[in-house]
Amino acid sequence: MNKLAREARLWLVGIPVLLWTLLPIYHIFLFSISSKDSAFSGALWPDKPTLRNFGTVFREEHFYLHHFWEQIWNSLWIAVAVGVLTLAVATCAAFAISRLKVRGGRMVMNAALFTYFIPAAFLAVPMYKAMGSYGLLNNRWSLVLAMVTLASPYAIWVLKQASDRLPWELDEAARIDGATPLQLFRLVYLPLMTPSLVAIGTYALLLAWNEYLYAFLLLSHEETIPLSVGLAHFLASDDSPWEVLMATALVYGLPPAAIYYAFRRYMVGGLTSGAVKS
Amino acid sequence: MASVSFSGIEKSFGRTRVLHGISLDIADGEFTVLVGPSGCGKSTLLRMLAGLEDISGGTIAIDGRVVNDLESKDRDVAMVFQSYALYPHMTVRDNMGFSLRLRNEGAGIIGARVAQAAKILDLEPYLARYPRELSGGQRQRVAMGRAIVRDPKVFLFDEPLSNLDAKLRVAMRAEIKALHQRLKTTTVYVTHDQVEAMTMADRIAVMNEGRIEQLGEPLQLYDRPANLFVAQFIGSPAMNVFDGVFRGGAVEALGARWPCSARAAEGQALKYGIRPEHLKIAASGIPAQVVVVEPMGAETEFVVSIGGARLTLLAGGRSAAKPGETLFVAPQAADAHLFDAASGTRV
Repeated sequence: MNKLAREARLWLVGIPVLLWTLLPIYHIFLFSISSKDSAFSGALWPDKPTLRNFGTVFREEHFYLHHFWEQIWNSLWIAVAVGVLTLAVATCAAFAISRLKVRGGRMVMNAALFTYFIPAAFLAVPMYKAMGSYGLLNNRWSLVLAMVTLASPYAIWVLKQASDRLPWELDEAARIDGATPLQLFRLVYLPLMTPSLVAIGTYALLLAWNEYLYAFLLLSHEETIPLSVGLAHFLASDDSPWEVLMATALVYGLPPAAIYYAFRRYMVGGLTSGAVKS
Repeated sequence: MASVSFSGIEKSFGRTRVLHGISLDIADGEFTVLVGPSGCGKSTLLRMLAGLEDISGGTIAIDGRVVNDLESKDRDVAMVFQSYALYPHMTVRDNMGFSLRLRNEGAGIIGARVAQAAKILDLEPYLARYPRELSGGQRQRVAMGRAIVRDPKVFLFDEPLSNLDAKLRVAMRAEIKALHQRLKTTTVYVTHDQVEAMTMADRIAVMNEGRIEQLGEPLQLYDRPANLFVAQFIGSPAMNVFDGVFRGGAVEALGARWPCSARAAEGQALKYGIRPEHLKIAASGIPAQVVVVEPMGAETEFVVSIGGARLTLLAGGRSAAKPGETLFVAPQAADAHLFDAASGTRV
């Protein structure tokens, strides 16, 4: 009885939240399967649902979509690069601070925490100047480097916390067994950290995939921008092709959903692991 | 196989000194147990030998070679941890072969050595399993297997049985002892359990507050404890100790005269110690009121009250005595241990 009541209360909260979340997505979907004339009809289901909009997108048959495949490739390239680089930086930092106990580790952790006090938007202009002086503007690497900078502090924190939970005896056993720090890292540390690494890699990847502000600032050629910026270009005219924009948006939203779904087990475990001492 | 020698070993954590100049020589092939209450520094001493803690002062030598500045991996020691410290992502086979793999041994040699160790430890059916699929005792055996495979100069055990239940602990105790008798590798074993120390050791070093209180063979420690600490630490149930005064060849305490063979100055304040099994029940003697009776089958343990103090008494066989009854105990002079009341050293 008690269990039933608790279940009912969960549903009572869950269903409105679900509807609230799905409503905009439903609208995107609705637009994307409507023809241009019926897009604004206000109906909950179009009279003649069509997939033609997706065809327009995939065949790049619209002025705003001439670089669709190039831009989605840019998004992918940047997101993967950010994920990999952030992982590399944060894993090494977490290992050095948590397991090798390098001097100044605490200071690095505090500095990483401090960066949270600075909003990302605040750093946009300095970042633009910095990238300009390195001659990286309009180069995908500028966005990659900027995003790695933004993602790393959080990644280091989470991975450091997760590292701290690995039993210390494992390191000692490995040292006695004859492992050098690098062997310890490769053969013991990395395999045991896999769930957290997947979670943090996904986090950084999605952060970069969804980024707009920095992408907009640092990249401006049609051929270098990611799709997030490309999407915004649709709104440049008064008569925006909403049905095509929404179809593109839906395509753009699928990879993160797929990634999240594939790694959901790690995401829940990994991002909360280390948050509390269990 | 090798000898191990500690000389003048000191250790400080910040300003806290935990080891005060420990010197101890362990012979080749010897099984030495470091025993003491928690915080006495026994684990720290072992970890210094393993190379896991820096040495603040003194030298440690293995086989006559000072190892103070050697890395763990270059000391040729193998350690078994209390928490087993098995690599969770490796099978039993990979766990046991890990050290050989790090030394770039060929697959054939690794396979053969692991198989040999698995045979010694009865682990053959479990080689393909992961640690999480094993019971506590099996994990402990894998940890030992990991040590054996390396054929090290010295085995180090850091409270290896503390995580096991009582029954398994007794079984593993025998296994470790049998293993040592078979391999004859020099072994340093740390425990807080004096029963483990007594049953396994060739020699025991009883430690307290960063010092070795006494070093000797198990029964030597049991029969002639050098001081009050060792007397009360070694033996289960613990030795009865109470205050008394030496007068006329015996100790006056708890309203009775207690015989002793040691001699002290007339009127000297002493601690009188007698083990529970030496408080023999007799037809006449010192009256003792029974408080608790604990029958254990082969023997019976009593808690008795003598002159207001609670003493433990261990008698063979079974007893019909009930709480509230009065027994008589007849201690023998040869069984008595006298300690100076102030310093605690044996008289």
